[in-house]
Amino acid sequence: MEKPSAISIKQLNKSYRESDQQHVIFSDLDMQVSRGEFIVLLGRSGSGKSTFLNLISGIDPPDSGKIIINGTDISALSEQDRTLFRRHHIGIVFQAYNLIPTLTVAENLLLPLELIKRLTRKDRDDVAELLDKLKLSGRLDSYPDCLSGGEQQRVAIARALIHDPSVILADEPTGNLDLDTAGQVLELLDILVKKAGKTMIMATHSQEVIGQADRVYSIKNQSLQRE
Amino acid sequence: MNSLLQRASRNFLWQHPWQLVLAILGIALGVAVVIAIDLAMESSLNSFNQATKVYTGSATHRIIASDGGLDEKLYSQLRVKGFSHLSPLVTGYVKLAQAEQESFKLVGIDPFIEKTLQSGWQSGQNENFSPVLFTRLMTEPNTALLSQKTAQRLHVPLNGQLSLVTRQDQQPLTVIGFLPDTNAVSEQVLAKLIITDIATAQEVLGLSGKLSSIEILLANDVSKTEAAIQSLLPGNALLLSLESQEQSLREMTRAFSINLNALGLLSLLVGMFLIYNTMTFLVMQRRRLIGSLRLLGVTRQQIFTLILSEAFFLALIGTLIGIALGVVLGQGLLQLISGTINAIYFRIDATVLTVTPFQLGKGMLLGMSVTFFAVLPPAFEATRLSPVKVMARSQLESGSRRLIKRVGFISGILIASGLAVAFLSGNSINFGLASIFLILFGFGLLTPVLTLWLMKFIERVFGRFLGVLGRLPVRMVSAEISRTGIAIAALMIAVSATIGMDLMIGSFRQTVAQWLHSSLPADLYLALPGDQMTAEKPLSDQQLKEKIAQLDGVGMVSTALQTKLLAEGELTKTTVFELAEKSKQGFIFKHNMDNSLWDRLEHQPTVIVTEPYAYHHAIRIGQKIDLKTNQGALGFEVIGINADYSGDQGHLIMSRQNYLRYWPDLGYTGIGVYARDGADLKNLESRISQLLTGQQVVKSNQAIYKASMELFEQTFTITEALRWLSAAIAFVGVFSALMALQFERTRQLGILRAIGITSRQLSVLIICETGLMGLVAGLLAIPVGFVVAYVLIFVVYQRSFGWTMAFYFDSGVLFQGIVLAFVAALLAGVLPALKMAQTHPAEALRTE
Ligand SMILES: Nc1ncnc2c1ncn2[C@@H]1O[C@H](COP(=O)(O)OP(=O)(O)OP(=O)(O)O)[C@@H](O)[C@H]1O
Ligand SMILES: [Mg+2]
Repeated sequence: MEKPSAISIKQLNKSYRESDQQHVIFSDLDMQVSRGEFIVLLGRSGSGKSTFLNLISGIDPPDSGKIIINGTDISALSEQDRTLFRRHHIGIVFQAYNLIPTLTVAENLLLPLELIKRLTRKDRDDVAELLDKLKLSGRLDSYPDCLSGGEQQRVAIARALIHDPSVILADEPTGNLDLDTAGQVLELLDILVKKAGKTMIMATHSQEVIGQADRVYSIKNQSLQRE
Repeated sequence: MNSLLQRASRNFLWQHPWQLVLAILGIALGVAVVIAIDLAMESSLNSFNQATKVYTGSATHRIIASDGGLDEKLYSQLRVKGFSHLSPLVTGYVKLAQAEQESFKLVGIDPFIEKTLQSGWQSGQNENFSPVLFTRLMTEPNTALLSQKTAQRLHVPLNGQLSLVTRQDQQPLTVIGFLPDTNAVSEQVLAKLIITDIATAQEVLGLSGKLSSIEILLANDVSKTEAAIQSLLPGNALLLSLESQEQSLREMTRAFSINLNALGLLSLLVGMFLIYNTMTFLVMQRRRLIGSLRLLGVTRQQIFTLILSEAFFLALIGTLIGIALGVVLGQGLLQLISGTINAIYFRIDATVLTVTPFQLGKGMLLGMSVTFFAVLPPAFEATRLSPVKVMARSQLESGSRRLIKRVGFISGILIASGLAVAFLSGNSINFGLASIFLILFGFGLLTPVLTLWLMKFIERVFGRFLGVLGRLPVRMVSAEISRTGIAIAALMIAVSATIGMDLMIGSFRQTVAQWLHSSLPADLYLALPGDQMTAEKPLSDQQLKEKIAQLDGVGMVSTALQTKLLAEGELTKTTVFELAEKSKQGFIFKHNMDNSLWDRLEHQPTVIVTEPYAYHHAIRIGQKIDLKTNQGALGFEVIGINADYSGDQGHLIMSRQNYLRYWPDLGYTGIGVYARDGADLKNLESRISQLLTGQQVVKSNQAIYKASMELFEQTFTITEALRWLSAAIAFVGVFSALMALQFERTRQLGILRAIGITSRQLSVLIICETGLMGLVAGLLAIPVGFVVAYVLIFVVYQRSFGWTMAFYFDSGVLFQGIVLAFVAALLAGVLPALKMAQTHPAEALRTE
């Protein structure tokens, strides 16, 4: 047998109805991602990058086809079960406004943990330590809107990883940031995700990342093409 | 450019139908309640006036007797002296054997008076009504006219017979013609009207030689003619202009009507929060659009006008719907209001909702201006939006937080001035109510600050047990305080008004119950109806009293006569007592009294006045009241003021001995029976009832107590109904705020879903948040409700009706208030929670 697939997509179809028009985004898409792989996803605006990530995270259900993550076919699960699956196995970073504005930085990080287990003293210490690593140690009790965009994104990445998911999905995580800050954020992703052996799919326009990727795809003709 | 601008904003409105509908509903409901109350109240009074016109025609003045009826000689005397345009009337209420449950008004008229004084149905052209009928009415004894519909309903054909239930037996009347109706009021009045000639009316009503009133049409030289007529009147007669009579009816119901209107305005106040909420939502949601417009060169002025013109259309639609709703609602309230007026003020024979353009205009103006005021703050906010950077919601919140603190200061001033107005405004009812509004509004503005504190407190105390997820609802309430605060404030105002009124009504009920207990010292009471003063009544009443006093088991007997005297030129209710020793304990005096009082009441020209009378006429002990006697005016000294809750106009109390010195005997209207110790009351009651005839009844003091308390509850049904309306509007307000809130946080909820929060958890979160809001509203409503109750009891009700009452605390009311707020908020939260839980996370994430 080959290296086990972290993500395996078969015959995936997805389209949206807009008034009376059928707008096809993906048709018969197939894809295999191995454990620990780092995939970069390119494509014009509106080509379906976000949609693709949403399908994998189970946020959006496919019209047909299979999406198997760590051996579980999430396309066969109910909405409720997909949510519970996502809770344990997937970490997500969006382009902006990732954090819950009514929770402090520390609380934002603790929330995913609280969803899967009882919080302990150690969890709080871990969070503090992690923020230390992100050079945000003083901001434990700050609310997100007091943080800069880059700082917010770093917290968002930390939150996507805190509960130790095996798959990380990032939707243009540097899209709102300047070059320098974007560099820092990508570096962080590199350390925390790749070095930890996690599988990651990142939608981006950023050219720098392409070099670090194991594979680069772009969405063309309602399917993925390897660059 | 301009039309494009409008289109851009209008499209946005169409995309938020919920908010659109709720804003319109807020305006509409507020306006509807105010209009409905106004219409119903005015119509009740109007109907009363029009109803009289059905048989008085175009009279301008009226001569009535204070009681006991006018001597019919007065009429011929006036005619002889050359006065014309006079119309004598004999009126009374009768029952028919054909319809035992109803009572009909029987009016005896002189059909051949001047044309000018005839009513519409008399003078109008009508094919099935000929003047020949008048001749028959006059010449044939025991003939009557009836409306055709009533005749059909009672199955009485033309020339068929009605049988009147009289004191002794039944008396037949022949229906010789049908009354044509001219409008809705007259149709209603005619449905319960029987017309006869004077002689027949006098006979069947037992009023031989008496008239109930003489209607007069005075066209020119009014004041001179008035004076000339006055000089011919005997002691018990009074000349009134119908205008002044209408005025005094209005005066009588003024306090009642002001209090009702205040309840309507409460609904409007709560509705105002709703409008404000929606308009801020519509502005805030478009901050990006407005920002871009500003960038394109649209001026602040234009933005301001844009928002205002939008509000104008919303207000217009809302107000129009409100007016339509108000007319429908008014129809419903009319029954309640005229029922209350019937029960406590005067008898209304017809109730038809009449709508005048003036009233509609008033409603229009009110709806438009309230909307205008509610929209000013968000409209200014819109002009301040920066064209360059679009502020995030959280930034706006920190801005509004600063504003909320400043508003907190203003609210302090409002509350303080409200209290000052309450206690410094003398006797004004309007100021008393205004103070309640100031207090409510002040506390409403203070609510957001208090909410922020409460949330901080909750977190500090419970935070560690709640976990991050549990803390979220608390945080959401305080983070979006500009929304949640409004909803909580609206709910708080409605609930505190409810608590305030409940405490007031409860206190009132207790006070009245205690008063009733002590003012019903006799065991049994006989009612001997006295609105028809027949000649033989004094004698037969006297005989009845003696028979009762001799019955086995009867200890003492007291009597009362309810009549009217002319006091200081006003027709004033007077109760004439023949007190038994025990009945004296029934009086609760509002001052220290010494025992010489009872003796003076018997032997000197003195009266006791009730508390409302003393209040309305600013009477103190020792002052004299001029009463018109047959020998001319005489001053009666006020020697006591006693508690009385039987009416809000107040009345005089006089001893029978004293009364008979100056006025003719009219018999009794009531007899109190004090049983001997150990007597069998049931048995006594049935023995007494065997002595009674016609409409005379005997009742135990418990039965009277029960009936009085039922009447008490009935007078508050209208208050109850209106209170629920304002609570309903508050509910819509909370609902609207929550809908807006959930819409605004779509993105945030999308993120929560992406992290792995299930839709069920999300609903629980939102429900917790709204439940929390309800609790806060309920908690804050308690102290505010207390303040409202205090002002109602010690300021408004005392000023309105002249009653003092004790404050009775009822913890159940507070508990109900909290539950009401909590349940209302929870219910209002259900739909937004479901809607958000059902939103696809993918869609939620696409918004921003
Ligand atoms: N819920 C939806 N309803 C209708 N159409 C949708 C929906 N979600 C996405 N689309 C459409 O699907 C297409 C793909 O959208 P998607 O957001 O995945 O693009 P994208 O590649 O992420 O673009 P960008 O680079 O701008 O983020 C777009 O044309 C979009 O309009
Ligand atoms: Mg995208």
